[in-house]
Formats: sequence, structure tokens, C-alpha cells
Amino acid sequence: MLETVIQAVINGLLIGGIYALVSIGVTLIFGVVKIVNFAQGEFVMIGMYISFFLATQFGVDPLLSLFVSMPLLFVIGVLVQHFLIRRVLGPNDMPQIFLTFALSLLLLNLALMLFSANYRTVHTFYSDEALHINGLYIPVAKLIAFVVAMALSGALWVFLHTTDLGKAMRAAAQNPDVAVLMGINPNRVFAVAFGAALALAGAAGSLLMPFYSAYPFVGQVFVLMAFVAVVLGTLGNVIGALVASLMMGVAESLGIQFVGADSGLIVVFAMLLLTLAFKPNGLGGGRMR
Amino acid sequence: MPLRGYAAEAVNIGALYPTTGSMAQIGVGCVAAAKLAADMINEAGGIKSLGGAKLNLIISDVQSDTTVTRTETDRLITSNKLSAIHGCFASALTLIASEVCERAHVPIITGSSSDQLNKGRSYTFTPFARASQFAKAQLQMSKLVSDKPKVAVIFENTAFGTSTSNGLKELAPGEGVEIVMFEPYSAGFTDASPLINKVKASGANALFSVSYLNDLILIVRTVKQVGLNVAINGGSGGFVIPDFYKNVGKLAEGLQGVAHWNHDMDDNSQKVNAEYKKRTGDFLFEYAGGLVAQTYMLADALERAGSADPQKVRDALSALDVSSGFAAMAPGGKVKFGPDGKNIYGRPLGVQWQNGDLASVFPKEDARAPLMKS
Repeated sequence: MLETVIQAVINGLLIGGIYALVSIGVTLIFGVVKIVNFAQGEFVMIGMYISFFLATQFGVDPLLSLFVSMPLLFVIGVLVQHFLIRRVLGPNDMPQIFLTFALSLLLLNLALMLFSANYRTVHTFYSDEALHINGLYIPVAKLIAFVVAMALSGALWVFLHTTDLGKAMRAAAQNPDVAVLMGINPNRVFAVAFGAALALAGAAGSLLMPFYSAYPFVGQVFVLMAFVAVVLGTLGNVIGALVASLMMGVAESLGIQFVGADSGLIVVFAMLLLTLAFKPNGLGGGRMR
Repeated sequence: MPLRGYAAEAVNIGALYPTTGSMAQIGVGCVAAAKLAADMINEAGGIKSLGGAKLNLIISDVQSDTTVTRTETDRLITSNKLSAIHGCFASALTLIASEVCERAHVPIITGSSSDQLNKGRSYTFTPFARASQFAKAQLQMSKLVSDKPKVAVIFENTAFGTSTSNGLKELAPGEGVEIVMFEPYSAGFTDASPLINKVKASGANALFSVSYLNDLILIVRTVKQVGLNVAINGGSGGFVIPDFYKNVGKLAEGLQGVAHWNHDMDDNSQKVNAEYKKRTGDFLFEYAGGLVAQTYMLADALERAGSADPQKVRDALSALDVSSGFAAMAPGGKVKFGPDGKNIYGRPLGVQWQNGDLASVFPKEDARAPLMKS
């Protein structure tokens, strides 16, 4: 019994690491640029296809393709912010919602057209391997993904707290008007934030590729969890999103184990509702960290 | 012999398949097989009793959608002079199309397995095994693996998974198979580990997974990672197409499934398979192979009817009785329709992935390769 519980917690933490990469991206964009990026999942999908094609065409290991997908998506992020998002920023939320939602639909259908609806997997030598310890098992590909995800989250936190640009980002998030008065260029800060968020989505895609299938709708699976995590961990709060993602992974896993295999999400949403009932601002307490 | 230079009027055959949307993967393969079958018949001289009339395939995309299937079937029938229709591979779509055909008095022949297709219809013909027969075969196959099979059934929680798994549950006691776990899950999960954790805890030695392709890939991989020693039976549909092996690779070796057709059944099947491989690069999978046989059944009916009139074709189909040639490419090698449009000889095959190919391994009289034990 105890073994089953520990195994369920391990499974939950490992998948929670992936949720974290997606949700941190969403929360970063919300915290700094103040918009909800509905297309975040589609950028995970793009990351997956980048890794897929590098692996099948050039034999690049999906994990190494991180060094391609992250910079590439960073650039895409900067471009999207500069040419699209920047134009709809303002007091009215509607154009922003429509813009990112339209972007999501566009990318989705473009992928359908270019790659068809087929599932595509990459098989690496570690894809099906697992570490076995005392009757427990830890899949290697997921462990690597988890470690890299945590490292990237940590790197983002260090960046936000120690570099000038990171501090400027947090300043712009706390009070954009005062930030401008202090000589911070909001457009530059926004572009970097959007780029960084998409780079994280790209990383999530590359890390998923060794153990998950790429298909045009794949982003939708993860973005739902990401939105829940973002709300649960307080909108705009990076640490909150990280903790909430891991909690959700564990809740989902325990739910499947002890409630029912089609009830994993029920446990997750029950957790969300309870949190919102008692802490309406989310677990992070409503501050950008 | 018809006179040279005199072109007999072509016979229109409607083909309804989802070539876009979620079922496109299989639908596209079906269309390729439908074209191959029509070409083979036409190159061999067409329908001789109609002066060598060629089969003219009219293909329509039903977009993996029930509403589109209804309108497309209607449109196809009203805007063309059809002799017969074949389609749609997915039972949910075929049920709709066959309803429309019934009202329009146009015969439809299909490989779809839903038992409902044989209820109250007189223009629907199903030459292959029915869903209830598949469930029975799956249960019997679990006894090949263990004398005391303990089966875990996991299924995606919509109509497809629920109805298939309920069939398994109902028949299990009669077959002497114990079901130790019966668990619905929501399709499109991110991680199969918790589910497989449960299978492990149940002590099952066989696993029936009623799943869509993506979930099945995750399940198979996770079973390997856990190091769980369990014989997996993946059923039919997405499990018995070349794409499954492309995605899962070596892990697919030894996995079992069920099918209504397989390319190793007889010489004719192998011949068509070779031709299909030449055209598409892949082996001829269950549904597409059965479709070639169905086209030959239509040709046989047209030949005997000596008319392109759908009513006469329907009557000729209902009197079909073949035991040789391409039209008899079915497990058991015989096709004859009962009053419910069901092939009275219809039976399923048990198949197994062996060396990147699907081999027939069950029942004994249809086995073309020994069962590989893992």
C-alpha cells in the first residue's frame, strides 16, 4: 500500500514538472505583459515538432534539440510580442483575448495542414528505460525532463531576482507606470518576457518528445493543466505556478490511483475549487515573486 | 466479348471514408485500397455481363463526423446514379450512412463491426466478424497465454470504449476468464503511469486495452518501464495498422490483437498485399484489405445481376455465395449472407505483431504463424 502511494507521488511529481514549464510561461506573460496567452499550448506543440524533425531528419536527440527549440521559440516570442501583442495592449482586454485565441487556432490548423493529424513519436535508447529501486520505478526520460524543468525554473527565478533585466521585469509587473518613470523600456521588457515564456514552452516540447506523441492538438492537453496551475498558484506568481503544477501532478496521480482512472482531473479541479473558496487569490497570496 | 470501340456505361460505386479529421489515418488507407480494387477489376476486363463496364469509384470525404456523413451520403445518392456504396470504416459513421442507404434503397457493404448494423436493415451487408465475436475471440486468446487468465480491462470512457468493454465483461464468465480489474479512463491523458500502477496492483496477467492510438502507445511504453509481465491485447482499429508499429517500434513485438482480415490469410490476400505495398509502402491493413474483398463481392453481384440497378444489385448481393477468388478473402474463405446481411461464415482472427508485421495466430484453423510467447 505504502509502495503504491509513493509510486503515485513519484509519477505525479514527474509529470508535474512538465506542467510547471507550461504554466510558468503562462504566468510570466500574465505577470509582466498582463495578458493571458491562450496559444501557449500551441508553442509547446511547435517545440515538439522541432524536436521531432531534428530527430528524424538529422538524428539529433530530442534533449539536445532543446538548444534549438528554446532559442528559436524565444525569437518567435519576441516577434509575436513586437508585431502582434504590442498593438493590442491597452485598457481593453477583448482584443488581446481574441488575438491570442486566434493565434492558437491559426497555429493549430497550420499544423494540421502541414503535418496532418497523425501521431508522431521519437524513440530514443532511454525512452522505455526505468530505474528500479526497492520495487519502485522511475522512468528515465521523465526523470531527465523533470530535472531539466526544475533547473530551467530555477534559472528563471535567479534571472528575475539577480539581473537588471529580471528586476526591470518584476518592476514592470508590479507597477508599469512607475517602471517607465524609472527609465525602464516596457517594450523591451515585454518582448523578453514573452520570449522567455515561449522558450519555456519550447523546452517543455523538447522534453516531452522522448516519451509523448506529437500531434497538432497536443498543446491543448497541457495548456488546460497550465491554466489551472496558474490560477491555483496565483496569477503572475512564478513560484506559485511551479508549486501548484507539482501539486496538481500529484493530485491527478493519486486521484487516478484511489478514486478512478477517469477521475484524476476531478481531484485536480476539486483542489482548485477549494483553494479558490478559501484563498481566492490562489496559494501564492496574490504577489508576483 | 463486347465489341471493340463500344464503351459500356461505367458502373458507379460510392465510397464514403473519413479522409480528414480524427479518423483520417485509416480513412486515407481505405481510399487507396478502394482504388486498387477498382483498378484490378477494371484491368481484368470490368463487369463482363455489362459489356465490360468499368467500375467508376466516386469518393466522398465524410470528415470523421456523423452529421457530414449523413449529408454526404444523401448528396452522393441524389447526385449520382449509384449501383452500390461501401464505407465508412468507423461504426459510428457507418450506422448513419446505412440508415440513409436503407431509405434510398441503395445497397451498402461494410467492414464495420457494430452488431447494430444487422438489425432491421435489408440493404446493409457485413461480410466480416461482428463486434460481439471480437470480444469472444479476445477472451479466448487470453487462455493461450495462461491456463488461469486474470484479465485487467482498461477502456476509454466514451461510447467506443464503454460498449466494447461491456461486451468483454458480459462474455467473460462464459469463457471461463476472470476479470480482476475493470476501469474506465479519460482519453488523452498525459501520463499512463498511475493507470498501469493500478493494473500492477490488480495482479492481472493479461491486459485488454480498449484505447485510441495515442493512449495505447503510452500504455505499452509504460508497461515496459514498470517491467510488468502482462500479455497485452490491443483489440483492433488503430492497433492493427502499420502506424502503430511505426510509433511503438520493437515494443510492439508479441502484442496481440483481433482483426476481421489479415494479409497472410491466403494466396489472394498476399497478392493484393504485395500490390498495395508497391503503391503505398505499407502492408495492407485489416480494414483496407477487407475492402478489396468487398469490392470483389460487389463485382460478383453486378456480374450476376447483369444490371447496374441498385435494387437488382441488392438482390444479387443477398444471394452471394463465394468460396474462391478475391471475393472470398475472409477468415474461413467463405462468404454467404444471411437474412440479416451478416456473413454466416464470418469469424474474427487473432493476430500478433511479429517482426514488424501482423501474423494470424488464432484460431488454430486460421493461424499462419505460431503464437510468440513473451
